[in-house]
Amino acid sequence: MRIHRTLALGAVLLALVVSACTPGGGSTSPSASESEAAKPAVTVGSAGFYEAALVAEIYAQALEAHGYTVTRKLELGERDVTQAAIESGEINLKPEYLGGMASFLGADVAADPEVTFANMQAKLAEKGLVALDYSPGTDADGFVVRQETADQFNLATMSDLAAVADQLVWGLAPGCPDNPVCGPGLQSTYGIDISQLEVESLPPCSTQMAEALNNSAIDVAQVCTTQPDIARFNLVLMADDGGLQPAQNVAPVVSTALLDAAPDDFETTLNAVSALLTTDVLTALGVQVAVNQESYADVAAQFLADNGM
Amino acid sequence: MEFLGEVAAWFADPASWEGRNSIPLRLWEHVSLSVTALAMGMLIALPIGLAIGHSGRGARAAVAITNIGRAIPSLGWLGMVLPITLVLFERGGLGFLPALIALVALAIPPIVTNTYAGLREVDRELIDAARGMGMRESRILAAVEVPIALPVILAGIRSSAVQVVATATLAAVVAGGTLGDFILQGIFVRDLPRVFGAALMVAALALATEGLFALLQRLTTSPGLRAGEVGRAS
Repeated sequence: MRIHRTLALGAVLLALVVSACTPGGGSTSPSASESEAAKPAVTVGSAGFYEAALVAEIYAQALEAHGYTVTRKLELGERDVTQAAIESGEINLKPEYLGGMASFLGADVAADPEVTFANMQAKLAEKGLVALDYSPGTDADGFVVRQETADQFNLATMSDLAAVADQLVWGLAPGCPDNPVCGPGLQSTYGIDISQLEVESLPPCSTQMAEALNNSAIDVAQVCTTQPDIARFNLVLMADDGGLQPAQNVAPVVSTALLDAAPDDFETTLNAVSALLTTDVLTALGVQVAVNQESYADVAAQFLADNGM
Repeated sequence: MEFLGEVAAWFADPASWEGRNSIPLRLWEHVSLSVTALAMGMLIALPIGLAIGHSGRGARAAVAITNIGRAIPSLGWLGMVLPITLVLFERGGLGFLPALIALVALAIPPIVTNTYAGLREVDRELIDAARGMGMRESRILAAVEVPIALPVILAGIRSSAVQVVATATLAAVVAGGTLGDFILQGIFVRDLPRVFGAALMVAALALATEGLFALLQRLTTSPGLRAGEVGRAS
Protein backbone atom coordinates (compact mmCIF):
# COMPACT_ATOMS: atom_id res chain seq x y z
CA MET A 1 0.00 0.00 0.00
CA ARG A 2 1.15 3.52 -0.68
CA ILE A 3 1.63 4.59 2.89
CA HIS A 4 3.96 1.69 3.37
CA ARG A 5 6.30 2.81 0.68
CA THR A 6 6.05 6.43 1.66
CA LEU A 7 6.87 5.73 5.26
CA ALA A 8 9.38 3.01 4.70
CA LEU A 9 11.43 5.10 2.33
CA GLY A 10 10.54 8.51 3.55
CA ALA A 11 10.80 8.20 7.26
CA VAL A 12 12.08 4.94 8.62
CA LEU A 13 14.63 4.18 6.01
CA LEU A 14 15.93 7.56 5.18
CA ALA A 15 19.28 6.95 6.76
CA LEU A 16 19.30 3.20 6.20
CA VAL A 17 19.16 3.28 2.47
CA VAL A 18 21.94 4.82 0.49
CA SER A 19 19.72 7.86 0.63
CA ALA A 20 20.66 11.51 0.28
CA CYS A 21 17.61 11.83 -1.87
CA THR A 22 18.06 13.03 -5.37
CA PRO A 23 16.42 16.41 -5.62
CA GLY A 24 13.41 16.53 -7.88
CA GLY A 25 14.72 17.40 -11.27
CA GLY A 26 12.64 20.44 -11.84
CA SER A 27 13.62 22.88 -14.52
CA THR A 28 10.58 24.22 -16.24
CA SER A 29 10.80 24.60 -19.94
CA PRO A 30 10.36 28.24 -20.90
CA SER A 31 10.33 27.41 -24.57
CA ALA A 32 6.64 27.11 -25.36
CA SER A 33 6.45 28.81 -28.70
CA GLU A 34 3.96 31.49 -29.67
CA SER A 35 1.95 29.19 -31.86
CA GLU A 36 1.28 26.85 -28.97
CA ALA A 37 -0.11 29.58 -26.75
CA ALA A 38 -3.56 28.03 -26.92
CA LYS A 39 -2.34 25.18 -24.77
CA PRO A 40 -3.30 25.62 -21.11
CA ALA A 41 -0.66 25.81 -18.40
CA VAL A 42 -0.11 22.60 -16.52
CA THR A 43 1.07 22.37 -12.91
CA VAL A 44 2.03 18.82 -12.03
CA GLY A 45 2.35 17.68 -8.43
CA SER A 46 3.18 14.36 -6.84
CA ALA A 47 3.27 12.45 -3.60
CA GLY A 48 6.48 12.57 -1.61
CA PHE A 49 8.23 9.44 -2.75
CA TYR A 50 10.37 8.60 -5.71
CA GLU A 51 8.01 6.58 -7.88
CA ALA A 52 5.20 9.14 -7.82
CA ALA A 53 7.67 11.95 -8.43
CA LEU A 54 9.31 10.12 -11.33
CA VAL A 55 6.00 9.33 -13.02
CA ALA A 56 4.99 12.97 -12.57
CA GLU A 57 8.25 14.05 -14.19
CA ILE A 58 7.66 11.68 -17.12
CA TYR A 59 4.16 13.09 -17.65
CA ALA A 60 5.61 16.60 -17.44
CA GLN A 61 8.32 16.01 -20.02
CA ALA A 62 5.94 14.23 -22.37
CA LEU A 63 3.61 17.22 -22.25
CA GLU A 64 6.48 19.67 -22.74
CA ALA A 65 7.46 17.78 -25.84
CA HIS A 66 4.00 18.63 -27.17
CA GLY A 67 4.40 22.31 -26.43
CA TYR A 68 2.79 22.56 -23.03
CA THR A 69 4.21 24.82 -20.35
CA VAL A 70 4.59 22.70 -17.25
CA THR A 71 5.32 23.83 -13.70
CA ARG A 72 6.48 21.14 -11.30
CA LYS A 73 5.56 20.76 -7.65
CA LEU A 74 6.94 17.31 -7.02
CA GLU A 75 7.15 15.50 -3.69
CA LEU A 76 4.47 17.59 -2.02
CA GLY A 77 3.75 15.06 0.71
CA GLU A 78 1.20 12.38 1.38
CA ARG A 79 -2.12 11.94 -0.34
CA ASP A 80 -4.04 14.31 1.92
CA VAL A 81 -1.62 17.06 0.86
CA THR A 82 -1.60 16.33 -2.88
CA GLN A 83 -5.38 15.95 -2.91
CA ALA A 84 -5.87 19.29 -1.16
CA ALA A 85 -3.49 20.82 -3.69
CA ILE A 86 -5.36 19.55 -6.74
CA GLU A 87 -8.78 20.42 -5.29
CA SER A 88 -7.63 23.95 -4.54
CA GLY A 89 -6.13 24.37 -8.01
CA GLU A 90 -2.55 24.72 -6.73
CA ILE A 91 -1.78 21.83 -9.07
CA ASN A 92 -3.95 20.45 -11.86
CA LEU A 93 -2.29 17.13 -12.63
CA LYS A 94 -0.88 14.36 -10.44
CA PRO A 95 -0.15 10.67 -10.86
CA GLU A 96 -2.25 8.49 -8.60
CA TYR A 97 -2.67 4.86 -7.60
CA LEU A 98 -6.15 3.46 -8.21
CA GLY A 99 -6.69 1.65 -4.92
CA GLY A 100 -5.04 4.30 -2.77
CA MET A 101 -6.95 7.14 -4.44
CA ALA A 102 -10.26 5.26 -4.41
CA SER A 103 -10.11 4.33 -0.74
CA PHE A 104 -8.97 7.86 0.14
CA LEU A 105 -12.15 9.14 -1.51
CA GLY A 106 -14.27 6.55 0.25
CA ALA A 107 -14.90 4.43 -2.85
CA ASP A 108 -14.82 0.64 -2.84
CA VAL A 109 -11.63 -0.99 -4.02
CA ALA A 110 -11.17 -4.32 -5.77
CA ALA A 111 -8.41 -6.45 -7.18
CA ASP A 112 -9.85 -5.72 -10.64
CA PRO A 113 -8.37 -2.39 -11.82
CA GLU A 114 -11.35 -1.72 -14.07
CA VAL A 115 -13.77 -1.87 -11.14
CA THR A 116 -11.52 0.17 -8.87
CA PHE A 117 -10.99 2.73 -11.65
CA ALA A 118 -14.73 3.14 -12.24
CA ASN A 119 -15.40 3.57 -8.51
CA MET A 120 -12.62 6.13 -8.24
CA GLN A 121 -13.77 8.01 -11.35
CA ALA A 122 -17.26 8.48 -9.92
CA LYS A 123 -15.87 10.01 -6.74
CA LEU A 124 -13.37 12.20 -8.62
CA ALA A 125 -16.17 13.64 -10.77
CA GLU A 126 -17.81 15.05 -7.66
CA LYS A 127 -14.67 17.09 -7.06
CA GLY A 128 -14.22 18.38 -10.60
CA LEU A 129 -11.46 15.90 -11.29
CA VAL A 130 -11.04 13.14 -13.81
CA ALA A 131 -8.59 10.27 -14.21
CA LEU A 132 -7.19 9.32 -17.61
CA ASP A 133 -6.23 5.78 -18.65
CA TYR A 134 -4.41 3.69 -16.07
CA SER A 135 -1.12 1.88 -16.52
CA PRO A 136 -0.84 -1.88 -16.98
CA GLY A 137 1.67 -1.93 -14.11
CA THR A 138 0.65 -1.94 -10.47
CA ASP A 139 2.46 -0.97 -7.31
CA ALA A 140 0.54 -2.98 -4.76
CA ASP A 141 1.50 -4.91 -1.66
CA GLY A 142 2.94 -8.26 -2.54
CA PHE A 143 4.89 -11.19 -1.17
CA VAL A 144 8.23 -12.34 -2.53
CA VAL A 145 10.50 -15.31 -1.90
CA ARG A 146 14.07 -16.10 -2.88
CA GLN A 147 14.56 -17.89 -6.21
CA GLU A 148 15.84 -21.00 -4.38
CA THR A 149 12.69 -21.15 -2.22
CA ALA A 150 10.50 -20.77 -5.29
CA ASP A 151 12.38 -23.64 -6.94
CA GLN A 152 12.40 -25.84 -3.86
CA PHE A 153 8.64 -25.65 -3.26
CA ASN A 154 7.63 -24.87 -6.84
CA LEU A 155 6.06 -21.55 -5.89
CA ALA A 156 4.44 -19.14 -8.35
CA THR A 157 1.25 -17.96 -6.70
CA MET A 158 -0.02 -16.99 -3.28
CA SER A 159 -2.04 -20.22 -3.23
CA ASP A 160 1.18 -22.20 -3.76
CA LEU A 161 2.74 -20.24 -0.93
CA ALA A 162 -0.22 -20.89 1.38
CA ALA A 163 0.35 -24.64 1.10
CA VAL A 164 3.85 -24.37 2.60
CA ALA A 165 3.28 -21.26 4.73
CA ASP A 166 4.06 -22.98 8.03
CA GLN A 167 7.46 -24.18 6.81
CA LEU A 168 8.67 -20.64 6.18
CA VAL A 169 9.65 -17.60 8.22
CA TRP A 170 7.56 -14.57 7.25
CA GLY A 171 8.61 -10.94 7.29
CA LEU A 172 5.40 -9.01 7.86
CA ALA A 173 4.56 -5.38 8.42
CA PRO A 174 4.09 -4.18 11.97
CA GLY A 175 0.32 -3.97 12.33
CA CYS A 176 -0.31 -6.72 9.78
CA PRO A 177 -2.87 -8.43 12.06
CA ASP A 178 -4.94 -5.23 12.01
CA ASN A 179 -4.64 -4.49 8.29
CA PRO A 180 -7.60 -5.88 6.29
CA VAL A 181 -5.45 -6.69 3.25
CA CYS A 182 -2.70 -8.29 5.36
CA GLY A 183 -3.53 -10.60 8.29
CA PRO A 184 -7.31 -10.91 7.95
CA GLY A 185 -7.09 -10.93 4.13
CA LEU A 186 -4.43 -13.65 4.06
CA GLN A 187 -6.69 -15.70 6.32
CA SER A 188 -9.93 -15.25 4.38
CA THR A 189 -8.46 -15.37 0.86
CA TYR A 190 -5.69 -17.94 1.22
CA GLY A 191 -6.35 -19.64 4.54
CA ILE A 192 -3.02 -18.40 5.89
CA ASP A 193 -3.29 -17.87 9.64
CA ILE A 194 -0.42 -15.53 10.48
CA SER A 195 -0.84 -16.13 14.21
CA GLN A 196 0.40 -19.69 13.57
CA LEU A 197 3.44 -18.63 11.54
CA GLU A 198 7.03 -17.80 12.37
CA VAL A 199 7.03 -14.03 11.91
CA GLU A 200 9.59 -11.24 12.01
CA SER A 201 8.11 -7.76 12.23
CA LEU A 202 9.82 -5.48 9.69
CA PRO A 203 8.76 -2.34 7.81
CA PRO A 204 7.20 -3.48 4.52
CA CYS A 205 8.71 -2.27 1.24
CA SER A 206 11.91 -1.49 3.15
CA THR A 207 15.47 -2.39 2.31
CA GLN A 208 15.84 -4.20 5.66
CA MET A 209 12.96 -6.47 4.67
CA ALA A 210 14.62 -7.26 1.34
CA GLU A 211 18.05 -7.76 2.91
CA ALA A 212 16.63 -10.04 5.59
CA LEU A 213 15.08 -12.14 2.84
CA ASN A 214 18.18 -12.15 0.69
CA ASN A 215 20.27 -13.32 3.66
CA SER A 216 17.85 -16.11 4.59
CA ALA A 217 16.85 -14.50 7.89
CA ILE A 218 13.30 -14.74 6.58
CA ASP A 219 11.83 -16.75 3.68
CA VAL A 220 8.86 -14.63 2.68
CA ALA A 221 8.87 -10.84 2.57
CA GLN A 222 6.04 -8.35 2.32
CA VAL A 223 7.07 -5.81 -0.31
CA CYS A 224 5.71 -3.31 -2.79
CA THR A 225 5.46 -4.91 -6.21
CA THR A 226 7.68 -2.31 -7.93
CA GLN A 227 10.29 -2.20 -5.15
CA PRO A 228 13.77 -1.95 -6.70
CA ASP A 229 15.08 -4.64 -4.32
CA ILE A 230 12.99 -7.21 -6.21
CA ALA A 231 15.14 -6.66 -9.27
CA ARG A 232 18.31 -6.12 -7.24
CA PHE A 233 18.09 -9.45 -5.39
CA ASN A 234 16.30 -11.38 -8.12
CA LEU A 235 13.33 -12.11 -5.87
CA VAL A 236 10.23 -13.96 -7.04
CA LEU A 237 6.90 -12.19 -6.68
CA MET A 238 3.97 -14.48 -5.84
CA ALA A 239 0.99 -13.87 -8.11
CA ASP A 240 -2.07 -12.68 -6.18
CA ASP A 241 -4.28 -15.38 -7.71
CA GLY A 242 -6.99 -14.95 -5.08
CA GLY A 243 -7.29 -11.23 -5.78
CA LEU A 244 -6.55 -10.06 -2.25
CA GLN A 245 -4.69 -6.84 -3.02
CA PRO A 246 -6.63 -3.89 -4.41
CA ALA A 247 -5.44 -2.74 -7.83
CA GLN A 248 -2.78 -0.03 -7.55
CA ASN A 249 -2.26 0.82 -11.19
CA VAL A 250 -1.02 4.31 -11.97
CA ALA A 251 -3.25 6.91 -13.60
CA PRO A 252 -2.97 10.67 -14.05
CA VAL A 253 -5.65 12.60 -12.20
CA VAL A 254 -6.34 15.99 -13.77
CA SER A 255 -8.77 18.81 -13.18
CA THR A 256 -11.76 18.65 -15.50
CA ALA A 257 -11.17 22.32 -16.32
CA LEU A 258 -7.69 21.54 -17.62
CA LEU A 259 -8.86 18.57 -19.66
CA ASP A 260 -11.67 20.61 -21.22
CA ALA A 261 -9.37 23.51 -22.08
CA ALA A 262 -6.65 21.34 -23.60
CA PRO A 263 -6.55 20.05 -27.15
CA ASP A 264 -6.79 16.31 -27.81
CA ASP A 265 -3.05 15.75 -27.70
CA PHE A 266 -3.11 16.33 -23.93
CA GLU A 267 -5.12 13.20 -23.28
CA THR A 268 -3.51 11.08 -26.00
CA THR A 269 -0.01 12.00 -24.76
CA LEU A 270 -0.72 11.06 -21.14
CA ASN A 271 -2.50 7.86 -22.16
CA ALA A 272 0.42 6.87 -24.37
CA VAL A 273 2.83 7.35 -21.47
CA SER A 274 0.68 5.42 -18.99
CA ALA A 275 0.39 2.53 -21.44
CA LEU A 276 4.18 2.09 -21.24
CA LEU A 277 4.25 1.75 -17.46
CA THR A 278 4.23 -1.96 -16.75
CA THR A 279 5.19 -3.33 -13.34
CA ASP A 280 8.61 -4.32 -14.72
CA VAL A 281 9.16 -0.87 -16.21
CA LEU A 282 8.19 0.84 -12.96
CA THR A 283 10.57 -1.45 -11.05
CA ALA A 284 13.44 -0.81 -13.47
CA LEU A 285 12.89 2.96 -13.40
CA GLY A 286 12.76 2.77 -9.61
CA VAL A 287 16.19 1.12 -9.58
CA GLN A 288 17.57 4.03 -11.60
CA VAL A 289 16.32 6.74 -9.25
CA ALA A 290 16.25 5.02 -5.86
CA VAL A 291 19.33 2.81 -6.14
CA ASN A 292 21.52 4.44 -8.78
CA GLN A 293 20.55 7.92 -7.57
CA GLU A 294 19.96 9.28 -11.06
CA SER A 295 17.84 12.42 -11.28
CA TYR A 296 14.15 12.25 -12.11
CA ALA A 297 14.74 14.55 -15.08
CA ASP A 298 17.46 12.35 -16.58
CA VAL A 299 15.62 9.09 -16.07
CA ALA A 300 12.39 10.52 -17.46
CA ALA A 301 14.14 12.02 -20.51
CA GLN A 302 15.94 8.77 -21.25
CA PHE A 303 12.75 6.74 -20.83
CA LEU A 304 10.79 8.95 -23.20
CA ALA A 305 13.63 8.99 -25.73
CA ASP A 306 13.90 5.20 -25.61
CA ASN A 307 10.20 4.98 -26.38
CA GLY A 308 10.33 7.54 -29.18
CA MET A 309 8.30 10.18 -27.39
CA MET B 1 -10.41 14.40 24.81
CA GLU B 2 -11.86 11.85 22.44
CA PHE B 3 -8.34 11.01 21.36
CA LEU B 4 -7.16 10.45 24.93
CA GLY B 5 -10.15 8.18 25.38
CA GLU B 6 -8.95 6.12 22.42
CA VAL B 7 -5.48 5.94 23.93
CA ALA B 8 -6.98 4.76 27.22
CA ALA B 9 -9.10 2.23 25.32
CA TRP B 10 -5.94 0.79 23.75
CA PHE B 11 -4.39 0.36 27.18
CA ALA B 12 -7.63 -1.11 28.53
CA ASP B 13 -8.10 -3.60 25.68
CA PRO B 14 -7.29 -7.11 27.00
CA ALA B 15 -5.86 -7.95 23.57
CA SER B 16 -3.11 -5.40 24.25
CA TRP B 17 -1.94 -7.48 27.18
CA GLU B 18 -1.69 -10.98 25.73
CA GLY B 19 -0.05 -12.85 22.88
CA ARG B 20 3.07 -12.07 20.93
CA ASN B 21 2.24 -8.43 20.42
CA SER B 22 1.42 -7.62 24.03
CA ILE B 23 2.44 -4.56 26.01
CA PRO B 24 4.31 -6.68 28.63
CA LEU B 25 6.28 -8.45 25.90
CA ARG B 26 7.19 -5.22 24.09
CA LEU B 27 8.07 -3.60 27.40
CA TRP B 28 10.30 -6.55 28.27
CA GLU B 29 12.00 -6.35 24.86
CA HIS B 30 12.53 -2.65 25.43
CA VAL B 31 13.90 -2.93 28.96
CA SER B 32 16.09 -5.98 28.37
CA LEU B 33 17.61 -4.42 25.26
CA SER B 34 18.22 -1.12 27.07
CA VAL B 35 19.72 -2.70 30.16
CA THR B 36 22.01 -4.96 28.13
CA ALA B 37 23.13 -2.08 25.95
CA LEU B 38 23.84 0.14 28.94
CA ALA B 39 25.71 -2.64 30.78
CA MET B 40 27.88 -3.38 27.76
CA GLY B 41 28.40 0.31 27.17
CA MET B 42 29.63 0.72 30.75
CA LEU B 43 31.82 -2.36 30.48
CA ILE B 44 33.60 -0.81 27.51
CA ALA B 45 33.48 2.88 28.40
CA LEU B 46 34.35 2.87 32.11
CA PRO B 47 37.80 1.23 31.79
CA ILE B 48 38.66 3.59 28.93
CA GLY B 49 37.45 6.61 30.86
CA LEU B 50 39.26 5.57 34.03
CA ALA B 51 42.50 4.84 32.20
CA ILE B 52 42.66 8.11 30.33
CA GLY B 53 41.30 10.09 33.27
CA HIS B 54 43.86 8.72 35.70
CA SER B 55 46.87 8.88 33.44
CA GLY B 56 45.87 11.90 31.41
CA ARG B 57 47.35 10.16 28.40
CA GLY B 58 45.59 9.32 25.13
CA ALA B 59 42.61 11.37 26.15
CA ARG B 60 42.22 13.23 22.91
CA ALA B 61 42.35 10.10 20.79
CA ALA B 62 40.04 8.11 23.04
CA VAL B 63 37.43 10.82 23.23
CA ALA B 64 37.63 11.41 19.51
CA ILE B 65 37.16 7.72 18.73
CA THR B 66 34.27 7.19 21.11
CA ASN B 67 32.64 10.35 19.83
CA ILE B 68 32.21 8.60 16.50
CA GLY B 69 29.35 6.94 18.34
CA ARG B 70 27.81 10.36 18.71
CA ALA B 71 28.55 11.55 15.21
CA ILE B 72 26.82 8.60 13.54
CA PRO B 73 23.09 8.55 14.22
CA SER B 74 21.69 5.33 15.65
CA LEU B 75 19.70 4.74 12.50
CA GLY B 76 22.98 4.93 10.62
CA TRP B 77 24.53 2.33 12.92
CA LEU B 78 21.57 0.04 12.30
CA GLY B 79 21.96 0.49 8.56
CA MET B 80 25.65 -0.35 8.67
CA VAL B 81 25.39 -3.20 11.15
CA LEU B 82 22.34 -5.03 9.83
CA PRO B 83 23.85 -6.25 6.53
CA ILE B 84 26.83 -7.62 8.48
CA THR B 85 24.85 -9.38 11.23
CA LEU B 86 22.47 -10.81 8.62
CA VAL B 87 25.33 -12.32 6.65
CA LEU B 88 26.94 -13.71 9.80
CA PHE B 89 23.90 -14.97 11.69
CA GLU B 90 20.97 -15.05 9.24
CA ARG B 91 17.83 -14.89 11.39
CA GLY B 92 19.92 -14.24 14.53
CA GLY B 93 21.22 -11.15 12.75
CA LEU B 94 17.79 -9.59 12.97
CA GLY B 95 16.38 -7.82 15.98
CA PHE B 96 18.28 -7.84 19.25
CA LEU B 97 21.86 -8.04 17.98
CA PRO B 98 22.00 -5.16 15.48
CA ALA B 99 19.90 -3.02 17.83
CA LEU B 100 22.27 -3.82 20.69
CA ILE B 101 25.34 -2.79 18.69
CA ALA B 102 23.75 0.51 17.69
CA LEU B 103 22.73 1.25 21.27
CA VAL B 104 26.12 0.33 22.74
CA ALA B 105 27.71 2.76 20.30
CA LEU B 106 25.26 5.36 21.58
CA ALA B 107 25.92 4.56 25.24
CA ILE B 108 29.73 4.75 25.19
CA PRO B 109 30.61 8.41 24.47
CA PRO B 110 28.89 10.15 27.44
CA ILE B 111 30.37 7.64 29.87
CA VAL B 112 33.90 7.97 28.50
CA THR B 113 33.86 11.75 28.42
CA ASN B 114 32.25 12.14 31.83
CA THR B 115 34.51 9.61 33.49
CA TYR B 116 37.53 11.31 32.00
CA ALA B 117 36.30 14.79 32.94
CA GLY B 118 35.33 13.67 36.45
CA LEU B 119 38.77 12.26 37.16
CA ARG B 120 40.60 15.25 35.72
CA GLU B 121 38.61 17.56 38.00
CA VAL B 122 39.92 15.88 41.15
CA ASP B 123 42.22 18.25 43.04
CA ARG B 124 45.84 17.43 42.08
CA GLU B 125 46.96 18.14 45.65
CA LEU B 126 44.76 15.36 46.97
CA ILE B 127 46.32 12.91 44.57
CA ASP B 128 49.81 14.09 45.43
CA ALA B 129 49.00 13.71 49.13
CA ALA B 130 47.73 10.17 48.56
CA ARG B 131 50.87 9.36 46.60
CA GLY B 132 52.95 10.87 49.40
CA MET B 133 51.21 8.59 51.87
CA GLY B 134 52.51 5.66 49.83
CA MET B 135 49.28 4.67 48.08
CA ARG B 136 49.66 2.60 44.95
CA GLU B 137 48.21 4.05 41.71
CA SER B 138 45.32 1.56 41.69
CA ARG B 139 44.52 2.47 45.28
CA ILE B 140 44.60 6.19 44.47
CA LEU B 141 42.14 5.56 41.66
CA ALA B 142 39.81 3.43 43.78
CA ALA B 143 39.97 5.30 47.08
CA VAL B 144 40.50 8.91 46.06
CA GLU B 145 39.70 9.70 42.45
CA VAL B 146 36.63 7.55 41.80
CA PRO B 147 34.74 8.47 44.99
CA ILE B 148 35.30 12.17 44.31
CA ALA B 149 34.48 11.87 40.61
CA LEU B 150 31.53 9.54 41.14
CA PRO B 151 28.75 12.13 40.74
CA VAL B 152 30.18 13.20 37.38
CA ILE B 153 30.70 9.59 36.26
CA LEU B 154 27.15 8.71 37.25
CA ALA B 155 25.86 11.75 35.40
CA GLY B 156 27.48 10.32 32.27
CA ILE B 157 25.90 6.92 32.82
CA ARG B 158 22.56 8.57 33.48
CA SER B 159 22.76 10.54 30.27
CA SER B 160 23.62 7.34 28.36
CA ALA B 161 20.81 5.40 29.99
CA VAL B 162 18.16 7.95 29.09
CA GLN B 163 19.36 8.16 25.49
CA VAL B 164 19.44 4.37 25.20
CA VAL B 165 15.92 3.95 26.57
CA ALA B 166 14.55 6.57 24.21
CA THR B 167 16.44 5.25 21.18
CA ALA B 168 15.65 1.57 21.77
CA THR B 169 12.40 2.28 19.90
CA LEU B 170 14.45 2.15 16.69
CA ALA B 171 15.01 -1.58 17.16
CA ALA B 172 11.56 -2.02 15.65
CA VAL B 173 12.88 -1.24 12.17
CA VAL B 174 15.19 -4.27 12.33
CA ALA B 175 12.59 -6.67 13.78
CA GLY B 176 13.77 -6.01 17.33
CA GLY B 177 10.27 -5.41 18.67
CA THR B 178 10.35 -3.01 21.66
CA LEU B 179 7.77 -0.33 22.27
CA GLY B 180 8.88 1.11 18.93
CA ASP B 181 7.02 -1.73 17.22
CA PHE B 182 3.74 -0.31 18.49
CA ILE B 183 4.73 3.03 17.01
CA LEU B 184 5.40 1.46 13.60
CA GLN B 185 2.19 -0.55 13.79
CA GLY B 186 0.24 2.59 14.58
CA ILE B 187 1.80 4.42 11.66
CA PHE B 188 1.21 1.61 9.17
CA VAL B 189 -2.42 1.00 10.11
CA ARG B 190 -3.13 4.66 10.88
CA ASP B 191 -3.88 3.98 14.51
CA LEU B 192 -2.60 7.16 16.15
CA PRO B 193 -3.79 6.30 19.68
CA ARG B 194 -1.43 3.32 19.54
CA VAL B 195 1.46 5.54 18.45
CA PHE B 196 0.71 7.98 21.21
CA GLY B 197 0.23 5.31 23.87
CA ALA B 198 3.56 3.70 23.00
CA ALA B 199 5.35 7.06 22.88
CA LEU B 200 3.89 7.82 26.28
CA MET B 201 5.32 4.59 27.68
CA VAL B 202 8.76 5.33 26.21
CA ALA B 203 8.69 8.78 27.75
CA ALA B 204 7.63 7.36 31.11
CA LEU B 205 10.40 4.77 30.91
CA ALA B 206 12.98 7.46 30.12
CA LEU B 207 11.76 9.60 33.02
CA ALA B 208 11.85 6.63 35.37
CA THR B 209 15.42 5.93 34.26
CA GLU B 210 16.34 9.54 34.87
CA GLY B 211 14.77 9.41 38.32
CA LEU B 212 16.47 6.15 39.22
CA PHE B 213 19.90 7.49 38.37
CA ALA B 214 19.24 10.80 40.10
CA LEU B 215 18.49 8.81 43.24
CA LEU B 216 21.55 6.63 42.75
CA GLN B 217 23.68 9.72 42.31
CA ARG B 218 22.36 11.16 45.57
CA LEU B 219 22.93 7.99 47.50
CA THR B 220 26.47 7.44 46.29
CA THR B 221 27.75 10.95 46.60
CA SER B 222 30.31 11.05 49.38
CA PRO B 223 29.01 13.15 52.29
CA GLY B 224 32.19 15.18 52.15
CA LEU B 225 31.31 16.30 48.65
CA ARG B 226 27.90 17.70 49.46
CA ALA B 227 28.38 21.43 49.30
CA GLY B 228 26.04 22.27 52.16
CA GLU B 229 27.62 19.89 54.60
CA VAL B 230 31.11 20.93 53.66
CA GLY B 231 30.07 24.48 54.45
CA ARG B 232 28.70 23.50 57.82
CA ALA B 233 31.69 21.42 58.74
CA SER B 234 34.16 24.23 58.23
